[in-house]
Amino acid sequence: MSKIGVFICHCGENINATVDCARVAKTAGELEGVEYSIDYKYMCSDPGQTLIKQAIKEKGLTGVVVGSCSPRMHEPTFRKACQEAGLNPFMCEMANLREHCSWVHDKNEATTQKAIDLVRTLVEKVKLNKPLYSIKVPVTKTALVIGGGIAGIQASLDIANAGHQVILVEKDPSIGGHMSQLSETFPTLDCSQCILTPRMVEVAQHPNIKLLTYAELEKLEGSIGNFKATIRKKAKSIDENLCNGCGTCTTKCPTKKIPSEFNTGLGTRTAIYVPFPQAVPNKPVIDKENCSYYQKGKCKVCEKVCPTGAIRFDQEDELVEIEVGAVVIATGFNIMQPSEFPEYGYGKYKDVITGLQFERLASASGPTLGEIRRPSDGKIPEKIVFVACAGSRDPAKGIPYCSKICCMYTAKHAMLYQHKVHHGKSYIFYMDIRAAGKNYEEFVRRAIVDDEVNYIRGRVSKIYEENGKLIVRGVDTLLNAKPVEIEADMVVLASAAIANPGAEELAQKMHVSYDSYHFFSEAHPKLKPVETNTAGIFLAGACQAPKDIPETVSQASGAASKAIILFSKDELSRDPLIAVVNRSPAPVFSTCVGCFMCASACPYQAIGEELITNRQGKVIKKVAKVNPGLCQGCGTCVAFCRSKSIDIQGYSNEQMCAEVVALLNND
Amino acid sequence: MNELIKKAVALLESDSVQVIIGYAEGTGTRTRAIFITRTADCENLIFDSRCVQNLAVYLTKSEIKKLGKPAIVAPIPVLRSILQLAVENQITENDLVVLGITPQSELVDFESFAAIEAFLSTHQIVIEEKYQETIREIKAMPVTERFAYWVKELEPCFKCYACRAACPLCYCTRCTVDNNQPQWISVASHPLGNLEWHIMRAMHLAGRCTDCEACYNACPMSIPIHLLTKNMLQDVTENFGTYGPSLDKLNTLSSFKPDDKESFIR
Repeated sequence: MSKIGVFICHCGENINATVDCARVAKTAGELEGVEYSIDYKYMCSDPGQTLIKQAIKEKGLTGVVVGSCSPRMHEPTFRKACQEAGLNPFMCEMANLREHCSWVHDKNEATTQKAIDLVRTLVEKVKLNKPLYSIKVPVTKTALVIGGGIAGIQASLDIANAGHQVILVEKDPSIGGHMSQLSETFPTLDCSQCILTPRMVEVAQHPNIKLLTYAELEKLEGSIGNFKATIRKKAKSIDENLCNGCGTCTTKCPTKKIPSEFNTGLGTRTAIYVPFPQAVPNKPVIDKENCSYYQKGKCKVCEKVCPTGAIRFDQEDELVEIEVGAVVIATGFNIMQPSEFPEYGYGKYKDVITGLQFERLASASGPTLGEIRRPSDGKIPEKIVFVACAGSRDPAKGIPYCSKICCMYTAKHAMLYQHKVHHGKSYIFYMDIRAAGKNYEEFVRRAIVDDEVNYIRGRVSKIYEENGKLIVRGVDTLLNAKPVEIEADMVVLASAAIANPGAEELAQKMHVSYDSYHFFSEAHPKLKPVETNTAGIFLAGACQAPKDIPETVSQASGAASKAIILFSKDELSRDPLIAVVNRSPAPVFSTCVGCFMCASACPYQAIGEELITNRQGKVIKKVAKVNPGLCQGCGTCVAFCRSKSIDIQGYSNEQMCAEVVALLNND
Repeated sequence: MNELIKKAVALLESDSVQVIIGYAEGTGTRTRAIFITRTADCENLIFDSRCVQNLAVYLTKSEIKKLGKPAIVAPIPVLRSILQLAVENQITENDLVVLGITPQSELVDFESFAAIEAFLSTHQIVIEEKYQETIREIKAMPVTERFAYWVKELEPCFKCYACRAACPLCYCTRCTVDNNQPQWISVASHPLGNLEWHIMRAMHLAGRCTDCEACYNACPMSIPIHLLTKNMLQDVTENFGTYGPSLDKLNTLSSFKPDDKESFIR
């Protein structure tokens, strides 16, 4: 015979202002099997929990229903309280009277009635609850970091320095990401590569980090603590053990006119190439798309000149399977191509470039060796116009959100220009200046006051060429809103930061959620900013939303610390709310008929097979078996099982039916 | 079908199989299933256009399994069922000998399930135009009218479960309808109970039914329950591509492909 205790929480005024909590408690007290029922102002408070504990001990309760907030908030609190009083924690259920009732309805009779119904269904469920025990799962203390930009580098170093193994996967031939392409960084104007390359080298030298460049995630299976990742190592066409990075091949390669991705198309590279001088690893790859040998079957110059015989034309992509306990996604962002805005003339006029291209022009390792020379004729521009929000904050044609970094880098660009071209004049068209951050506002002020950058508040409507000049037409919305026309030598567009192409596909591979812009979603916008909705997978950097370097690095360290916390124990304790295949007396043994539809439906590959044998070891029946380490308790298999042979512990068919019947028998 | 009888005798004599599952003369003009364990009885084997019962249903029955390894007389609907049973891990190639029969009543040997699949690829499931017409008419009805149509059609059902017994894919050890802890499906033969049973039966065959019509042929009240599965078959074909069992494909409805239509998710 059940002895259920019902505990109704007022949540201050959150529930009690809308629901008559006293009446809910009184009505619940009259339900069959309810031994004790009470309402209280804050059930989660210490005295509130004591109420529950005392009732369990004094009344000998066999089950507890707490009518309060969402189980997401306080289920662990109340289950722990029950456990302390000697009741199995899984004999405690929560009726969500706040999010599902008081917060979404007006104060009236029906709202209180709904609260009573919610409590009643849970009372019927708890009557069928069975004691359950946590599942222990071993943890693989290796982290997989996807993406070798500054986020991935920082996360890898932090995890590795904590003494754990890291596998860092980068899709390009070198780590470094966007940060390696930048010239100087705001607000201190220190050289980007000077601060980044030591970290890159540290990654390469770290004994705990295994670096896989030119590689991509193919498949991710398993769950927190025990993922199995398949990595595709794209064929580099060189033997990395033999290559000593001498660079002879890259100088002798006859195919020299390939636009360099690293230099955003402003420079060229060869078909066998190292993306930039400080690349890590500093060993070349052959770009098969552009290599004469792969395309036309003739050349092999690199093979002839290689002193160590490291060229391997027959190399094929290699799939490696690795076991990891945590995953950090640090795949970064991309920039929107401004060719989608024909009024700016990008793609039509050579001297209209993006902010990232300007970074390369200003960089000492760039195509102009750090001199600001315009792409068309190599002249130093006398007048330069920067257009902020070229795509950002433009719900009609671009993206509705703010790309966050452009205000600051545009100020930096103008400043760098003024430092390099002393007699030059620079103009910035802007909507608002968003310079929130340590020393950021001071930086922008410095650009305006010290470096005499002309800020014009207004939008650019058209850019066209006339007599070798780029005419920038816009409006100055301050000072009585006058139209402005500037004859510029070069225009730099602060194009919007967008999610990486392929982000959606990657998210689906890893079962993490993403937003409508294809940035990966954090588990909670405030309290879980580095977690994803999939346990054991964390986010770092601009793959979650546009971010600057300091923010990216902090988030990467945050993600790393989450992985380190996960690795701090040898075993993970998991809720036993998982699927189980039933067992019944001989000769049936289990009603499972072994069709294994559940196995193909399972999104976590958690279902395998089990052979039921007799005492002589003869196989009597082959049935499905759920791996408790992998099962996430989603219930897809339960819905698929025709014979109802598979059930979720704690959410069994029987319990669900009892809840439904309790709701239907509403009188 | 002297050839079939000769083959059956040879199989039993060589002890390659212990039982032949085939067709024999039944009461009146009807045929019935026969389970032959002695060579002398092989002469009772027949095959003609009256033999429409789907014999694959016996492959999963424990009473038949006890007789030993079977050889089964398998016209096309039986072949499709055999393949689907293989997809669902109910039988393996070593479990049985298939005595295939072509639409021209020729005996054909199958070395493997893959050979059956290859043969069936040239004999795709086709839903006859008369059924398509009826399905279109039913689908054109307003919801209330359609509901009333099915309540009326299903009214004569008295839950004999002959449809379940005749279906080769209803092989569960314990059917959901027999499960009373909790009792999801009402067992009574009232309109609600009948509706629940037939919806469940059809849904459990979604993506699996091979359109053999054994359920309809078995129904003593001639309720057109095969319309439900035929319609389901059409829907699955339209939404998820080709239909019919395939050994190297995962089951249509329990597997996911990135290019699956998601138009029904709102």
